[in-house]
Amino acid sequence: MNPILLIARKESRELLGSGRGLAWLLALSAVLSVLGLLFVSNTELSLLDNAQVVTMELGTITALGALLAVVLGSDAIAGERERATLIPLLLSPARRTDIVLGKMGNQLVGWLVMYLIGLPYLWAVGSSGQNLAQACAYLALFGTPLVLGFGFLAQGLSSRAAAVRSALVPSLLALILLGGPVMLGPSFRQSAIGSWLDRVNPFAAAINSFDSVVIDSQSLSAQLARLAIVLIWLAATAAFARSSATSMNV
Amino acid sequence: MDVDVDGLTLTLGGRPVLDGVSLHAQPGEIYGLLGPNGAGKSTTLSVITGLRRAASGQVSVVGHDPAREALALHREIGVLPERSGFYDWMDAPDYLAWFAQLYGRRLTGPEITAELAQVGLDGRNRRAIGTYSQGMRQRLGLARALLHRPRLLILDEPTNGLDPRGRREVHNLLLERSRQDGVGILLCTHLLDDVERLCTRIGILHQGRTVFEGALSELATASNEGESYRLHLRTEPPAVPLPPGVELLAWQGEWARIKLDGTRPPEDVWRGLLAARWPIAEIHQEAGGLETLYLRMTQKEEGPA
Repeated sequence: MNPILLIARKESRELLGSGRGLAWLLALSAVLSVLGLLFVSNTELSLLDNAQVVTMELGTITALGALLAVVLGSDAIAGERERATLIPLLLSPARRTDIVLGKMGNQLVGWLVMYLIGLPYLWAVGSSGQNLAQACAYLALFGTPLVLGFGFLAQGLSSRAAAVRSALVPSLLALILLGGPVMLGPSFRQSAIGSWLDRVNPFAAAINSFDSVVIDSQSLSAQLARLAIVLIWLAATAAFARSSATSMNV
Repeated sequence: MDVDVDGLTLTLGGRPVLDGVSLHAQPGEIYGLLGPNGAGKSTTLSVITGLRRAASGQVSVVGHDPAREALALHREIGVLPERSGFYDWMDAPDYLAWFAQLYGRRLTGPEITAELAQVGLDGRNRRAIGTYSQGMRQRLGLARALLHRPRLLILDEPTNGLDPRGRREVHNLLLERSRQDGVGILLCTHLLDDVERLCTRIGILHQGRTVFEGALSELATASNEGESYRLHLRTEPPAVPLPPGVELLAWQGEWARIKLDGTRPPEDVWRGLLAARWPIAEIHQEAGGLETLYLRMTQKEEGPA
């Protein structure tokens, strides 16, 4: 079997079979449950338009997926280094890029599980409204490259870091820097800086697309520029992870 | 040649870690790599296995340049690193089966059991590796290194954490692999007993340089000590010149350490000293074991404190 698939399969078994991985998925489900409950029971949130609630849910699933990717990516190489399991892997016939891609396979599985966990919550808050199918499709279309980009970034940093913490902190910082402006009010986002950030920020591109498709019922052709931003983000972080893999130290 | 290393240098963090390492191990030979802590043994192994690139020098391992042909090299060598981690959530059969697949081997249940049995582990034991003792982990690491039938084994402290019986079993396994299958072994260890029992030739590293390389029997000559003795004297000896071929090394209380250059039989020397009125009460030949020779060799390189 191809080393990439072997590594991905082993990593996924660890994610889905180990207590640590299951605890993460349970925690993410709990966050979605609490959010869903707030949409139903909170006086102000329950007054939101159905499409707005679906958009918020999409943003939350994407953010949680990115957080999971950052955690998995930071641990991917630096964690192996800390646990002294990296050297046997580097001494096997697997190339360093195979190791990186195998680990990304695990991140893809993590995101897929996150996506599947999110679907019933989306259905619960959006089944009575419009564009639920589009919401699910756009979560896959924009969420997957965005989340994998965060995974590549964290994994690239992990390849260069001596400890998990050294990779986790800058990766989380990147997540906050890219995800933070999206949470800011409309006045900032309509300012010159906010508008520029919205155009180049892949996180904002994904969230704005969710908004445009679910609330305003826009077509895919209107979202191509935003999709390009997200794909450029994925390509840039993948290139960073690849260059970090070739200089992976022991 | 299985390992052919010449003039290896490497600087890490501005400090020269390797400064002229040379090793030459023949196919099928068990070669011991010795040296005090910080001598550069593990760094040398990391260059030999392709994990690091040397700044200068020539390296060829089983015909491959580790810096350029790491993947081809990794198919032909089995390595047990000094600090070898495992996926603690797996059990040993799963772990070996997974690693075997990385090497393109698909092992059956009985094959896995046999692989584990050769290092003294029970293949029916499905306990998670995380619950293993240090000795069991060491054995599993050895099984992993042997898994793909390598031409050369590179073992860093392979008997660490093993009890005397376990050490003897590992010695026998390595000797069997070397004699029956012609597997070359590069053994890096602190345990001189391992070296005396297993190795045909050794290399000694000190402060990043090779200070000795050759057969164990050549070490005594290379240490340039000749035959040395300790003489117990009843009183102070007379102030007369020593007979030819005798060098006084040190006074230690009532004991004199002397070295004979081998040009005269020791009996002649003792007669000469007694004739010169040396009050000799006892004569002891100093132990010339590997440990003594190793210590002399590394102390000599350090020079006087």
